[in-house]
Amino acid sequence: MPRFLMLLALLLAAPVFAQSYAQLPHTRIELISETTAPKPGDRFTIGLVLEPQAGWHTYWQNPGDAGMPPTIAWTLPKDVVAGPLRFPVPETFVVKGIMNHVYSQRNILLADVQVPAGFSGSLPLVARVSWLVCDDRLCVPENATLRLDLATGSGAPDPLRRADFDSARAAMPRKLAENGGFAVDNGRIRLSVPFAGTDRVTAAHFFSAGDSDFVFASPQTVTRTDNALIIEADAAGPPPATLAGVLRVEQGKQVLGLQLKAVPEAVTSGRPLSGAGARAGASAALLPALGLAILGGVLLNLMPCVFPILSLKAMSLARAGETPARARTEGLAYAAGVVLVTTLLGLAVILIARAGAGAGWAFQLQEPRVIVLLLLLTLAIGLNFAGLFAVNAGTLQAGQGLASRPGASGAFFTGALAAFVATPCTGPFMAGALGAALVLPPRAGLLVFVGLGFGLALPFLAIGFIPALRRHLPKPGAWMETFRRILAIPMLLTSLALAWVLGRQTGVPGLMLGLLSALLLGLGLWWLGLRQARRVSGWPGLVVAGLAVLAAPFGLSCLPAATAAAAEAAPEAPEALGAVSWSPEKLAAAQAAGKPVFLYFTADWCLTCKVNERGALASDAVADHFRKQGISVMVGDWTRPDAAIARFLEERGRAGIPLYLFYAADGSVTELPQLLTVNMLTALASSGSATKP
Amino acid sequence: MMKHLLIASSFLLAAAPSLAAAVVGQPAPAFSVADSNGRTVSLADFKGKTVVLEWTDPECPFVQKHYNGAMQKLQADARRDGVVWLTVNSEGAGKQGAVSAAQANRYVRSNGLMPAAYLLDTSGAMARAYGARTTPHMFVINKEGVVAYAGGIDSIPSADPADTGRAQNFVQLALSDLKAGKAVATPSTRPYGCSIKF
Repeated sequence: MPRFLMLLALLLAAPVFAQSYAQLPHTRIELISETTAPKPGDRFTIGLVLEPQAGWHTYWQNPGDAGMPPTIAWTLPKDVVAGPLRFPVPETFVVKGIMNHVYSQRNILLADVQVPAGFSGSLPLVARVSWLVCDDRLCVPENATLRLDLATGSGAPDPLRRADFDSARAAMPRKLAENGGFAVDNGRIRLSVPFAGTDRVTAAHFFSAGDSDFVFASPQTVTRTDNALIIEADAAGPPPATLAGVLRVEQGKQVLGLQLKAVPEAVTSGRPLSGAGARAGASAALLPALGLAILGGVLLNLMPCVFPILSLKAMSLARAGETPARARTEGLAYAAGVVLVTTLLGLAVILIARAGAGAGWAFQLQEPRVIVLLLLLTLAIGLNFAGLFAVNAGTLQAGQGLASRPGASGAFFTGALAAFVATPCTGPFMAGALGAALVLPPRAGLLVFVGLGFGLALPFLAIGFIPALRRHLPKPGAWMETFRRILAIPMLLTSLALAWVLGRQTGVPGLMLGLLSALLLGLGLWWLGLRQARRVSGWPGLVVAGLAVLAAPFGLSCLPAATAAAAEAAPEAPEALGAVSWSPEKLAAAQAAGKPVFLYFTADWCLTCKVNERGALASDAVADHFRKQGISVMVGDWTRPDAAIARFLEERGRAGIPLYLFYAADGSVTELPQLLTVNMLTALASSGSATKP
Repeated sequence: MMKHLLIASSFLLAAAPSLAAAVVGQPAPAFSVADSNGRTVSLADFKGKTVVLEWTDPECPFVQKHYNGAMQKLQADARRDGVVWLTVNSEGAGKQGAVSAAQANRYVRSNGLMPAAYLLDTSGAMARAYGARTTPHMFVINKEGVVAYAGGIDSIPSADPADTGRAQNFVQLALSDLKAGKAVATPSTRPYGCSIKF
């Protein structure tokens, strides 16, 4: 059977009428060109598209323990030269301990073709391609002769191929500016790769280009430090002089490939990955969150809406001179009531948040609509604390009947009531617990609410269990009102912080919308408060407030998507530089206008970029100088794959970042070193290229 | 997640046979495996002789490329020089290229091959002991029982029979170095071919 397939493959690949594509038994292959009219004297990019049949794979440049990479033999017009194939980031495929470095999906290999300056006319590209395609049982060598007929011209990209080349470039590994380090010790090889933002990495695998460093099939242990990923596996031999390869880094669903070189140096191991160690990290965060929740619960007892209930009950307990056993029972019943209600509330909050956010649990704080709702909530609570209006008057009376019942059931309902009426005056503590519940895994989040309830119940438990306390209770009084008003300050500060976040996320239009709805809410609640003071129903105020709350998120989602997207795309550049996000058009426009531009590319994972951004680029002297010289700053963020950036870097013959370019007013371009100093930047002059510092 | 990773990696460890064994310059791992004629063949049987181990899979196109005459010639030359040639099939039962004793003998006859023995390493134990992972994967053991060559059969990793004429055959080179009493100039290369399906 395989032999028959081979024969078939040979027949199909027979170069009688060579086309630009071929369908083989296990692979579809196609030769594509970014331009149909290559420009003489320039180079253009071609792609080899390999589409293995489902369940089959083709190979990376270093295939691993077995397999073979595709090879290409060109037949080109005289003096036309094709460069080596560039491979996208591969995947691992292990069969019975044999490691394969593969592509199980459509993959595009790229190569650059240089056309000589004097060349003109038809430009046929003929490529004889041989590759191996395998599934987990069979390997079949296939080959095809492909022909693509081009003719010289303007070099303009073919719009039909744009998507293919964009995706091909996005899948390529990006060259790491810094060298990695490695050490071989006791049969283990340890590689350290400089990487910023290692806390977001969920998995990584190093694909070595060489054969004698990593044992391919040896499971790789990945750990991290603050600014490096450490990969450890069995060493395949004595330490090589240098090491090269591609590190595949996964940040959740996002895959990033880094092409790197490493030199011998001491390498220590790091902490577990946050992906792998997400639970560990979360439980580390859980303890403080739980502690704060309990503390917050204790402080909630002082809240004006809780304290009266508590003190009444406590005093009745003290007054009645109950037996210690009875006091303990009531204390426990009260605690049960409190914890039950806070847990239920927590469950509700978590379920609602979950339903709203779908799978993206931790990402909801990036969602402007959630921010705007939190903003309105904290504002309402702050205004309530400040005494603008009251919430609990009605509920308190309704619950009082149940709570005043004697005995354990009365205590239980008092607890439930205390917890329930505590919710509107949750204060900063409840907000903290809410925040924690949003970022922690659901079960841990729920535990925070249990802690809050426990904290709330703690004083009463103490009163129940320690008789001496019953005699020393502070009396409710005017001081509670003052305390509540003071608490309005942190609450309103929280609103302010949320408004800032909203502004960063959505820009000025989104911020205005948020503030407008905040104003509406404030007016509505004010109205409500005024009517409450006159003891008339405040429903019109409530209606206005409700409208504000409903309209704000709706309005936000109606904002032009571009605003939100642009704000999202803007990287965290040093504020003082007033950087705008880069696009080829913007750069061209600035150049046409004769404006000097400082352009740089950055990414969250790029260590050197971050060092520069926190160092030289953040300096006031640089910002001053740029302002005086009229130099505008553009920044391209390559955190996510971006075809425009990839193309731009490629045009400049660069595979990686950082890249710092200065476009002077006279059109001259200077490339700055990868490690910037303040002097280098302040030496940039608007009129011409940089004067050397 | 951590737990899952641990489970997954221990599974990988369990599934990964040790592939570390035959090291150039070290004594060759001992083996005792039944051949296609029912005899048990051991490395110890060939003390004082040069031994070639050739991992094979009759259905593998990379093996077929060499069975087009090149391998037959290599085996004939080896036999003439008193070298023991052992062809080893380590494909797991039911996998591509697994053969019965009768099929092995028929295949050897019909293709004009001439190994001293065709070993049926159905458990894959011998392949694991040597770290053999592809077909072909070649080992040359010198008269002292030390591994003198390990790796691919030649310098052009392809499935095209035409390439055998142009490639440097590393086994041939190793055998002629040994015959001349010299150290093997290229003692280890990267093997290429189909992966062995244990």
